Amino acid sequence: MNLIQVKRQSWNFGIIALVIILGFWRISQLPEFGSYEVRTFALGILPIALLSMGQALIIIGGGINLALGAEAVLINCLSANYMEGTDLKTSILLVFVFLLVGTGVGAITGWIISKSGIADIVVTLATSFLLVGIAMFIMPEPGGGINQSLADLIAGKDPNFIPPLVWLILPILLIWIPLYRSRLGIAMYAIGSNKDAAFLSGVNVSLTRVKLYAIGGLFAAISGIVTTGVTLSSSPFANISNTATLNSVAGAVLGGVSLAGGVGGLVGPVLASLVLFFIPTILLGFGIDPSYSQIVTGALTIFVVLLGGILRRRTGKR
Amino acid sequence: MMNSIRNYATAKVSKSIWTLFGILIALFLVTSLIDPYFFSIPSIGTTLLLAAPLGLLAAGQTICMLTGGIDLSLAMIAAGAAFIVSVKSSDGLLIALFWAFLYCFVIGSINGLAIGLFGMNPLIMTLGMNAVLIGVFAVGVTTFLKGSSTVPDILVTASTAIFLFDPISWPVIIWAVIGGLFLFMLTRTGLGRLIYAIGDNAQAARLAGVKVWQVQWATYVICAILGGMGGIMLGGQSGAVAISLANSFLLPSVAAVVIGGTSIMGGIGSYTGTIMGTLILTVLSYLLATINSSEAVKQMIYGAIVLALAWTYAKISENS
Repeated sequence: MNLIQVKRQSWNFGIIALVIILGFWRISQLPEFGSYEVRTFALGILPIALLSMGQALIIIGGGINLALGAEAVLINCLSANYMEGTDLKTSILLVFVFLLVGTGVGAITGWIISKSGIADIVVTLATSFLLVGIAMFIMPEPGGGINQSLADLIAGKDPNFIPPLVWLILPILLIWIPLYRSRLGIAMYAIGSNKDAAFLSGVNVSLTRVKLYAIGGLFAAISGIVTTGVTLSSSPFANISNTATLNSVAGAVLGGVSLAGGVGGLVGPVLASLVLFFIPTILLGFGIDPSYSQIVTGALTIFVVLLGGILRRRTGKR
Repeated sequence: MMNSIRNYATAKVSKSIWTLFGILIALFLVTSLIDPYFFSIPSIGTTLLLAAPLGLLAAGQTICMLTGGIDLSLAMIAAGAAFIVSVKSSDGLLIALFWAFLYCFVIGSINGLAIGLFGMNPLIMTLGMNAVLIGVFAVGVTTFLKGSSTVPDILVTASTAIFLFDPISWPVIIWAVIGGLFLFMLTRTGLGRLIYAIGDNAQAARLAGVKVWQVQWATYVICAILGGMGGIMLGGQSGAVAISLANSFLLPSVAAVVIGGTSIMGGIGSYTGTIMGTLILTVLSYLLATINSSEAVKQMIYGAIVLALAWTYAKISENS
């Protein structure tokens, strides 16, 4: 690894160091550390890590999706409603249907943004209302369920921590790495750094954006299904979707994705969601009011972005 | 030069204001058809009364968006101000109001200075600030902000009571005065011009000698103080104060500004448009309440209409 690569990865190294420190801290609080605890960690970060990855893709492409949490809630409600009492084969088929639905919702969002010329924040703010409304229409009350064997496949039976880790790593291997190496990946960084320059170099900006929002929607759908698998029910609430969206943006930004676009990757956000998971649990371990964790998370996000901005300006890379 | 800019900006805006006014009238007539009671003086009064706090919050959001920013901590600033007023009201009304607006000033300053001096992204800064404030007040309820959660009677009167005759109530008077001052500030003062200038092109404004950070500081402080006023009014209207008081007003405050034709990129827009947006959203929520639809259907229609209005607006301003 040469110097330039080290420099490029410096953000990730910083986050990894933070994760290791917080991780050891958390583990030192626990009476014992085994597969049960690993599973708790993995399950704790899985939904939000997946959502952060989806958000990161969209932000790298120069956009933002404030309806991503709502998409996850929608898929959560859809899956909990239709998967209740089905056999494993049907459930797996339904999983693919819901993944398609999530991708489609993302694609439509991207299409509206490209077609209308309205700012992405505004479009996704409006669609977040729309999607939560649909979710509440499908599931007016929390409830529903999922096939137990499918839930075990997603969340793992009690001490088995492999499945959640697989679902964390698989999207990176199967979606992110091929994307990163494809023309679409290059186009993504191009439209994120300079949309006009990308357009003049022959990148189809609208199509690239639609594809990115579609893949972001796919991540949101995976996150929604995983939530169903972990909680075995649905929660059709607007505040859950808002919190999830905010955490996904915080995760992406903490993970080294610049809100200006064109900078970052998907490994950082996964690590960042570990950080965001450890802080409240460590505070809880001290017996501190979990409300303080909100303060720490918010302040940490601000501080990290501030620091990142200053560092980037110093190295002359904006 | 200044004059031509003003003419250009107002010509572009005034055409769409009439479109918005048409939409408002249409919406009003549709609501009256469904619920004949709506077509009466008292219910117009109620609509204006309910629109006032949103109008103040949206004013704060307008000024932020004109500079190319956004304030997502506005709901917590509003709820916090109402909270402080109700808790400190035992020390006397003026002292309570002093603490509340001091709080708004401090939070607005932190937002504005971080954005102006340190180049923070407004979205992340105010998002982070929102999380911090939620935490601070969640802790505060049980510790340093323990106390009464009822708003002083005089503020309840100022937020709900009728002024002289029927459709005009106290909050509407307050909204008219504050909104009038705000409109004057935006269109007729140097600060207002500078806000448009840095929203249009911050780099050019800086090179022309504008201290951009000072303008941004002022912007977020004004936004926070307007938010605080809106929040206290909301508290007065609901009687009791909770941390979640203004949560459901954050997205409408953004939506009202956007429907009113203010560009989220900054530099284009007006408070007159925001007032129209506020009234449209208030009549819309009344309409959705009369249809007696479920919360789910309400959310869907609300989202769809906001999107449709924004889209229509974008098309109109594209053609002009």
